[in-house]
Amino acid sequence: MTRRATIERALLVAFAAFMLAVPWLIPALINGFWVSLIAEILIWSLFASSVNLLYGYIGLLSFGQALYFGFGMYGVAVGIDQLGLGFWPAFGLGIFAATAMAFVSGIFAVRLSWHYFAIITVVFSLIFYFLAVTQKWLTGGDDGINFTLPPTFSFGGTQLSFTSATFQYFFILATVMLCLWLMQCVTRSPLGKAFLAVRDNDVRASLIGLNVYGLRLTAFVMAGFLAGVAGALFAFFGRYASASYMFYHVSGEAVVWAIVGGAGTLFGPLVGTALFILIRELVSTHWEHHSLIVGVTAILVVILAPRGIVGLWRDVLARIAEPADVERSVEPAAELRTEP
Amino acid sequence: MMHTLLLLALNGLIWGLIIALIALGLSVIFGLLDIINIAHGDFFMVGTVVAWFTLEATGSFWLGFITAPLFGFLLGALIQRIVIQPIRNVAALSIVATFGLSLILQESVRISFGPTPHRILPPIQATIPLFGIEYEVYRLFAAAIAVAALLGFFLFLNHTKLGTWMRAVRHDRDTAIAMGIPAQRVYVFTFAIGFALAAFGGAVAAPITTVDFRGGVDILPFCFMAVIIGGLGNLPGTAAAAVLLAFLEGVIQSFADPTVARIASLVLMSAVLLLRPQGLFKGLTR
Repeated sequence: MTRRATIERALLVAFAAFMLAVPWLIPALINGFWVSLIAEILIWSLFASSVNLLYGYIGLLSFGQALYFGFGMYGVAVGIDQLGLGFWPAFGLGIFAATAMAFVSGIFAVRLSWHYFAIITVVFSLIFYFLAVTQKWLTGGDDGINFTLPPTFSFGGTQLSFTSATFQYFFILATVMLCLWLMQCVTRSPLGKAFLAVRDNDVRASLIGLNVYGLRLTAFVMAGFLAGVAGALFAFFGRYASASYMFYHVSGEAVVWAIVGGAGTLFGPLVGTALFILIRELVSTHWEHHSLIVGVTAILVVILAPRGIVGLWRDVLARIAEPADVERSVEPAAELRTEP
Repeated sequence: MMHTLLLLALNGLIWGLIIALIALGLSVIFGLLDIINIAHGDFFMVGTVVAWFTLEATGSFWLGFITAPLFGFLLGALIQRIVIQPIRNVAALSIVATFGLSLILQESVRISFGPTPHRILPPIQATIPLFGIEYEVYRLFAAAIAVAALLGFFLFLNHTKLGTWMRAVRHDRDTAIAMGIPAQRVYVFTFAIGFALAAFGGAVAAPITTVDFRGGVDILPFCFMAVIIGGLGNLPGTAAAAVLLAFLEGVIQSFADPTVARIASLVLMSAVLLLRPQGLFKGLTR
């Protein structure tokens, strides 16, 4: 094993150990609130991963992922509040609603690419945002829907539910990690290699016989699934769903988190999301104008590390671990080039 | 009923002319620099705020028509040098950078101007009877100013050396540089003029809308719609699309609520994107 792989593996083990110890470690070190903050970071990083799957792996910049997040959220809220479903059927309804919506809108959206794709995804999400705001009987509009959460598991008399902060944390951690693992499986499979071929040059990909439209649609539906899971988790987490989470600003934040963290890497969105949410939490209690820092950070990262924090880290790692191989490990700079 | 329709259509037309100015700035920046400018709505907002500060400081609203675009031009040039220049050519990064810029502009205005919205009284108090109500003369005047500014900009683009340079660099950067055009300075100038157009639109619109640090958020999707429906990089098309969209929304608002009107224009835009991605006016103007 190379030194580089050793360092990366050690980091991964440390990360896993930390995540598993959070419910006991964090209350002892800081306080219990931070456990739910870390759970929230996990949910949002799954949402940022859906942007990452599209942009980092198949080269489509979606500015409308909040639509599928919102469908996941409302699937859960409407399922529990109006249809009286239990935990798992509501979870399923949310994920199904988001994935089905991604399929239907993807049929149209992936016919376009680049700027046009970015714009039409915003347009779709805005249409449904305005619909959600007006159809108060279903969505509660900007006020949203509050609901009480049914238990996740019940065995006879004992129940496991989100009222236990530790159970809530582990449920979210397990779901997010399962989704990231699935995404890793896809991106390492032949399907994932085909995605990369489309990202790097769609004309060449179609000339070697790949179905570019079909691949883009597949990736789009998968990204809708990830966003839907994130939205459903967030509804469970907050016992709440609101149209305001479908606005284009929410999609925009996910794009920023994914690119700042490092598009095209598995952990990039997690790093980016954690960075920005931690800035928000750490600074906002002391200084009202914390979004100044968020803005400056976003700009500094894209200027100083155009391939994101994880990309920068990999360059650093390549230099310290394998000085002789630096030339080989430097990837072509035009990796994320723009189409004319 | 007929009067309401005409009134809302007129309001839409006037608002569309102002939006056309702002969208033109967006289109210029996009066409030449390939920058998707998320902060453009905030450039407009900065214009309204500069107009408000000018009015507070000097007592003259009209001075804002000079200070707002001037401030926008200088700040735009500065931003291009510091933020846009290092990340040129990678449109995805430009989205992140301008998103950061948008946060910085909004927060700076919130610090300096305050979080509460303010209104500017129309500098022309007179009203004229129109379609059964007393219509503000300033709105008609604002439309006239917007038309004059649009015409002025097109004259500048087509009949001055700098305007020709801008078109040349957009058309073929390498050849333009080979012909001795300072492309670098043209980039700075283009971004600055884009900001100045939006800020001028803000100053003109300030007495019609409210002055608020969030004033740019709603206007941004509308400007993007105008740019897309008009055809990316097609400047006269952008202006025409802005007027058409706002006019249509005005007409629809006379029999449905504003949100339905907004949804209708979004659906129209999806159709345009899918059926004529090159814009409605491709082939008519260039």
